[in-house]
Parts: sequence; C-alpha cells; structure tokens
Amino acid sequence: MIGKETTIIHFNVSSAKKASRHGAIKKWLLIAIALAFLGLFIVVPLLAVFSEALSKGMELYVAALTEPEALSAIKLTLLTAAIAVPINTIFGVIAAWGIAKFDFKGKNILITLIDIPFAVSPVIAGLVFVLLFGSQGVLGAFLEAYNLKIIFAVPGIVLATIFVTFPFVVRELLPIMQDQGTEEEQAAITLGANGWQTFFRITLPNIKWGLLYGVILCNARAMGEFGAVSVVSGHIRGLTNTIPLHVEILYNEYNFTAAFAVASLLALLALITLVLKSIVEYKSQKH
Amino acid sequence: MSTKRKQRRVLPGFGLSMGYTIVYLSLIILIPLAVLVLKASTLSLADFWQTITDKRVVASYKLTLYTSLLAAIVNAVFGTLIAWILVRYKFFGKRIIDALVDLPFALPTAVAGIALTTIYSPNGWIGQYFESLGIKIAYTPVGIMIALTFIGLPFVVRSVQPVLQELDHQYEEAASTLGAGSVQIFVKIILPAIFPAIITGFALAFARALGEYGSVVFISGNMPMKTEIVPLLIITKLEQYNYGGAAAIATVMLGFSFILLFLINFWQWRTAKKHQVT
Amino acid sequence: MGISILDVSKRFGSYPAVKNVELEIPTGDFVALLGPSGSGKTTLLRLIAGLEGTDSGKILFNGVDYTNKTVKDRKVGFVFQHYALFRHMTIFENIAFGLKVRPRKFRPSKSEIKEKVFNLLKLVQLEQLADRYPSQLSGGQRQRIALARALAVEPEVLLLDEPFGALDAKVRQELRHWLREIHQKLNITTVFVTHDQEEALEMADTIVVMNKGMVEQIGSPEEVYQHPVNAFVYSFLGRVNELKGSTLSESTDRITDLADGTVGYIRPHEILLNKFQQGDSLPVEVSHVHTVGAVVRIEFKPLDTEEFYGAEMDIEKYKELGSVKKGNILYAEFKNIVVFGKETETPHVLTDTNRLSAAIH
Repeated sequence: MIGKETTIIHFNVSSAKKASRHGAIKKWLLIAIALAFLGLFIVVPLLAVFSEALSKGMELYVAALTEPEALSAIKLTLLTAAIAVPINTIFGVIAAWGIAKFDFKGKNILITLIDIPFAVSPVIAGLVFVLLFGSQGVLGAFLEAYNLKIIFAVPGIVLATIFVTFPFVVRELLPIMQDQGTEEEQAAITLGANGWQTFFRITLPNIKWGLLYGVILCNARAMGEFGAVSVVSGHIRGLTNTIPLHVEILYNEYNFTAAFAVASLLALLALITLVLKSIVEYKSQKH
Repeated sequence: MSTKRKQRRVLPGFGLSMGYTIVYLSLIILIPLAVLVLKASTLSLADFWQTITDKRVVASYKLTLYTSLLAAIVNAVFGTLIAWILVRYKFFGKRIIDALVDLPFALPTAVAGIALTTIYSPNGWIGQYFESLGIKIAYTPVGIMIALTFIGLPFVVRSVQPVLQELDHQYEEAASTLGAGSVQIFVKIILPAIFPAIITGFALAFARALGEYGSVVFISGNMPMKTEIVPLLIITKLEQYNYGGAAAIATVMLGFSFILLFLINFWQWRTAKKHQVT
Repeated sequence: MGISILDVSKRFGSYPAVKNVELEIPTGDFVALLGPSGSGKTTLLRLIAGLEGTDSGKILFNGVDYTNKTVKDRKVGFVFQHYALFRHMTIFENIAFGLKVRPRKFRPSKSEIKEKVFNLLKLVQLEQLADRYPSQLSGGQRQRIALARALAVEPEVLLLDEPFGALDAKVRQELRHWLREIHQKLNITTVFVTHDQEEALEMADTIVVMNKGMVEQIGSPEEVYQHPVNAFVYSFLGRVNELKGSTLSESTDRITDLADGTVGYIRPHEILLNKFQQGDSLPVEVSHVHTVGAVVRIEFKPLDTEEFYGAEMDIEKYKELGSVKKGNILYAEFKNIVVFGKETETPHVLTDTNRLSAAIH
C-alpha cells in the first residue's frame, strides 16, 4: 500500500502540495460524512440500549436480569442455540464438502435453495411450522393424538431457529473451500489417507477459522431471532419465552428499563460476536 | 450419462454429503414451504384473490415496497461511501469502525427495534429535535425506513469493500496520467468496476428489508392502511386464526422473495463468470 | 514396477483429453511425457495415478489390471505441479503424513517415522527445515519437500506433474540434475510431465511426445530428436525454420516432386552461412545478429523476400566468418532440409551432400 501511495505522489511534483491539501480536505470530508452516518445509525442506538438499561440505577438493572422469568428466558435461549447451532454446523460442513469439492449439474440451483432462509421473511419461517404442526396444521391431528406439542412449545422454537440460521455455516465455508480447491486432498489420498483422515487432517484444519466465523454468526442469529420465534412461541411466560420475546413483552408493558436491561444482554452478545469475528478475521489473514 | 457411469470420483463422500444435504434441505426448508403454498391453494381462487387484493393488504404491499426501496437506495449510497473510506483512507479507529459495520447482522432485531423507537420517539434523543420542527419519525413511514436502513447497511458495505480492495491502483494512475480529474476517474473508472457489487448489495438489502419484522414492528406504530407492513399483517391474520389468509399473503411474499433471490444469485453468478474471462 | 497402458481414452464432457493411448513403461524407466498444453499429458499422468478414471482401455501394473483400483491401492508417489504441501503442517509433519495415516497394524513407531523422515530430508538436503511451514520455503525447497513426501510411502512408481514448471531457470537446472541423481539412486519407475523439450531431452531415458490427446512418438531422446516421425515432433523438439514456396524450391532445386504447399524444415544450426557464393547457396540479407553465450544467432532473409530465417553457429565459427552486420549480404547453404509426407508417410531428409536422392529413415 505504501509503495502505491508514493507512486501517486511522484508525478505531479510541482502542484503536489496543493493537490495533497485538496486531497486531505476531500478525505476528511468523506470520512466525516461516513462517520456521521454510522454514528447516527449504529453507535447511537447501541448507546441508547445501555443508557436506558442503566437509567434507573444498577439495582434495577440487576433485578431485571435476575427475576425468574428473565432467567427462564435466558435458559431457553441458550438451550435453543445449543441445539440449532450444532445441527446447522454439521449440516454446513457436510453440504460445503459436497458442493465445493465436486462438480455436478445443478450446483447453482442447490446453492440458491440453501439461500432461501436469507430471503424469506422470518415471519413466514414461523408461519410454515404453524401450518405444519399447529392444531389446525397438516400434522396437527396426528400430534394431538400422541399428545405431542410442537407449536407454542420448545420444539417449535428450535425448529424455527434452525430454519432461519440454516445457511450461515455453509455460506461461510463455501467460498473458502472453493478457493482452496482439491489438490491438498488429492495429495493426501495419493499418500494413502482414507476419506475420514483426509477430511479431519487436511480439510478441517484448513477451514477452521471460516468454520468458527460461521458458527459465531449462526449463534448470534440463533440467540437473537425474533420474528420466526415470535410466531411459533405463543409467548407463554416462563415457558416459551426467549430473551428477545421477553424484551418485547416488557417493552409492550411500558417497563422500558427492564426491557432495555434484558436487551443489553443481547447487545453485549452482539459486541462479543463482533470482537470474536475481528479476531477470527485477523487470525485467518495471518495464515 | 453413459460416460458418467464409469467416472469415478477421487475424493470420497459425494453421495453421502449430497444425500444428506438434499434430505435435510427438504425436511427443514422445502417441505415446510411447500405446505405453505399448499395451504394457500386450499382457498378458492376468488377467496385467494380477494385476500391478497384487499385494500388493507395492498396498502401494506405498497408501504413495504417503497420503504424497503428507499432504505436500500440510502444504503447503496452511504454503504459505498463507507466502503470507500474503509479501503482507501487511513484514520484512527478504522478497525473499530470496520467491525461496527456488522453490528446490524449481530444485534438482534428486537433490540434494534426498541432502541431506534426510543431514540426517534417525540421525546427521544434525536426525535425531540425533529418534533420541534414539526416532523414525526417514530410511528410513521420515515421511522420504518430508518429501521430498514439500519438492518440493510452491512450488505452494501460488505459487497463493495472486497471489490474496491482488489481494484488495481494502476487503472486510476493510468487515467490520471491521461489527464482525467478525480471526479472523472471515479465516474469512468471506479464506478463501473464496483457497480455490480453495489447492485448486489442493494438487492440483498432490499430483499432483507422486504421481510424484516423485528426492528420495524416497534417503530412503525402498526396503523392499518398507514404504517402496517406485510409481515405484521401475516401475524395479524394468524392471530385471528385465519390460516388461509395468512398463507395467501405469505405466498405472494414468498413468490416475490424467490424472484429476487434467483435474480441476485443469477447476477452474482454472471458477474463471477465475467470476471473469470478477464 | 512396469506400467502398461492399453488403448486408454478419457473425455471431459465433449472434449477428448486422451485418445487411444498405448504405452509400455518398463520397470525403472525414466519417462518424460512431452507436449504442448492441452496435449493430454497431465491427464495421462493422472489416469496412471488413478486421480482420474478411464473412459475406456486398461492400465496394468506389472501385468495386473489396475484400471478400477483406487488411488490408495495403486501405491504411487505423486508430486503435484503446485506441490500441494499441507499448509497447516510443518515440513516434518508433511513428510510423515503418509506414514501416520497407515492403519495401526502397518504404522511404523514414532521413532521409526522420525528416522525415516530425517533420512528423506537428508536425501533432499533440507534437514534444517524440518520445523518450518511450507509458506516459509522457497519454490525449489517446496519442490524437494513434495518429492520427499511422495517418497516417504515407498511408492513403486513416481509421478511428477510439471515438476519444475513454477521455478526460475537457475533452480530448475539444479533440480533437474538432482532428480536424475535420485532416480539413479532409488531406481523407481518415474514418469514426469513437461512442456519443455530441453528438460525432456536432458533428463529422460524415454520421451513420449504427445499432441491433441494422442501419442506422436515414443523413443530415446536421441531417437526423437534425430529421427522425428512427423512435422509436429520435429518442430516441437527445438528451434526450427520453416521453408515454403520459392525459398524451398530454390534451395532444393534438384528435387522435382515438390508439390504446392510442401513445407521443408531445417534447424538453425544446420544452415551454413558464407561470405562467398559456394555451389548453389542462396544470397541472403542479414537483418539481426545477436550473441547468446557461446552461440551466435543470425537472422536473415533471402533477397527479394520478406521471409525471415534464423541460423546458429558457435562463436568460433562466427569469428572465422568475420564480422557480420545488419544489411550484409551472405550466402546460405541449407544442409539438412526435412520434408514430411502426408500423415503416415515416412519423412524424407534432403541432405546437402546427396541432394539427388531423398534419404529415407
């Protein structure tokens, strides 16, 4: 980068001073506009969350987080992520292997189908499971006969979360795996490695940072999903409320401080996600 | 096919991974979506038509479309600007800014929703100044647009940034030795190179905005005919146990999302192919 | 191990990469697959390794049909063009990989692996690099590690895809010599792919010249160079001048059966240049003279034509000729014009000393 900048400065030596001052004004003007936009749209909302959360003091903040309903919401969110993230991670790795390492017809269509949850409204993601498993749904009578409850219960929340977080890991892995090609795997095979050895010793170490990044994003979305979960949950306090749903209830009850206190947990999670992401990016660039 | 029969694949696991991928994809995504369309088709054609062309529904289509479009345009402009300063300039705190761009991806939509509502409500941090000018933001289409701008911002930045990074300085240098000014260089050299990426980011932001629920529902006020977005209408139908109606509106939205998705992927696939040639 | 390739074909989609190739490689042979890019040489190498499946034909190892055996069963050592070193492993781990992935029953102990890896590192003269990562090595070092890794599993066949393609000229020269030495020491049947005729001529015992998926000629370096079977082989192995039309008929005026469009070939060092007319030599105008080491190249065109030719002579001969400058008129004698008949016909070589009858190989 430095080399390139010096070459720009090289020609135009005579008017260089004037040009560089003009360039500096332009540069800082553009930076100022961009930062103002980012400040308004990103930083201010983030600050607002913490400021509102702590506006009535630390005591109320802690109380909002430790009341039983909040704790049960936290538990349910952790449980949901603990199921959805590993399932989608395993799927992501397997699907990325099949798509990236082999040539076949219809690859682009398959990738597009995997992208569907990115394009579909989360509300629709919830709705499809209500139509499938709800009491009026296709399998409703069957489930009722066996006394199984999916909608307005934990399984529905997990299913909706799996739906919306479905593409995260695959989409993160695909470009990395496609970029790396198959030569190292072929070399391993010629050296006598079997399929599993090739995967665990060659492929997996090469994609580990991308995989970690995908898992982090998948987790962030799984814990924060609102629309899809809201449709299937039924908002039963202490039973089927995740953290985002609990935030909504508190907010709609005009209990703003508590709502923001609980929301600050999610904002913290988002910040941790961003830090992890930066670390992963830094590590993977180093390799 | 006859030549394929003998073709052996060197790396193992193709059949297994494809089989698993397709089964899992079908179970989680394709079959549930098919059920949705199936449910919509249980309505008679007249009922279906009436549901999706109901005045209130049409108003929500219009609102969703134009707020999403405006938000995506704002993002296309500012997203490109942000990508530009992140790639071309050095300044203090750049790494933090770069990381913060992804906040809308990481921050749960409900949190974004209540935060934006609080800021832009008539007595909020920013809302109060607009209120004194007689402008309302929260509970109006402007508020919806702000929420949609928030959630769509990373798409344009992250599409344009890598392309800008790979753009060789030599083109600009060549142009400037040929006497082009900085505006000319931007319009004639840089913009054409990053334009496909801007379009991709714009389309992704637009698609995301169309289906967005969490961040909008708090700030929109949800007044029928005025500030009611399509996803909310689906939930309303659902809460009235009108499953057919919900499915019908959702099917229309789904069709729209599908078309957009295929256009985006086709566009990306085509740009990638074009790049391979050069 | 001896390899027999019997009528093997391979297509990629509608593109025929290898067509009906027949090839017999005896044990211990050092074979070069030589051809331009797209000639199918790499595909043939990958077919031998089992990295591609054949569409038709058979591949035998020591007379046993291996056509449908997996890569693993073939026990070949394969060195990839870009080395394909495992980037997350050290050099030691790279070389040890083939031993470590063996089933427990056949896996050597840790100390045995260590000993073996260091023996191989000694063989490739890079013992000091055991703990480095591939990204910290130069191209030539990576190439040697890739070879050591392939040799670790004690293959009976060693296959190398463009082994020196990505290296600079000096390193390439060193490694050629070194690979030859290793082959002599270990005496493993070795097949390598190259598009560089010099590399093939210098290293191989047998050269297989390939073009458009087919084998054009198989023979020792001397055979293919001295007695090429067709125009493709002749022009692919070394610098060549093409003689067409009037220049050809003037320089071979005593041959009567030259059809229209016949092309004659001659190597630059087979053109003699003199300051004075001798016999039926052709007057030519010098357009460029340049010295490359001990060789002088002179470009010229016959008078009244716009066709350029190149002649080569060593510097001693050039001194005998006296100083030559652009624009000088010299007389060119074409000593060894080769004319190839259509397709299957054997080539005629028109020798200067005996132009009256075409010598036939």
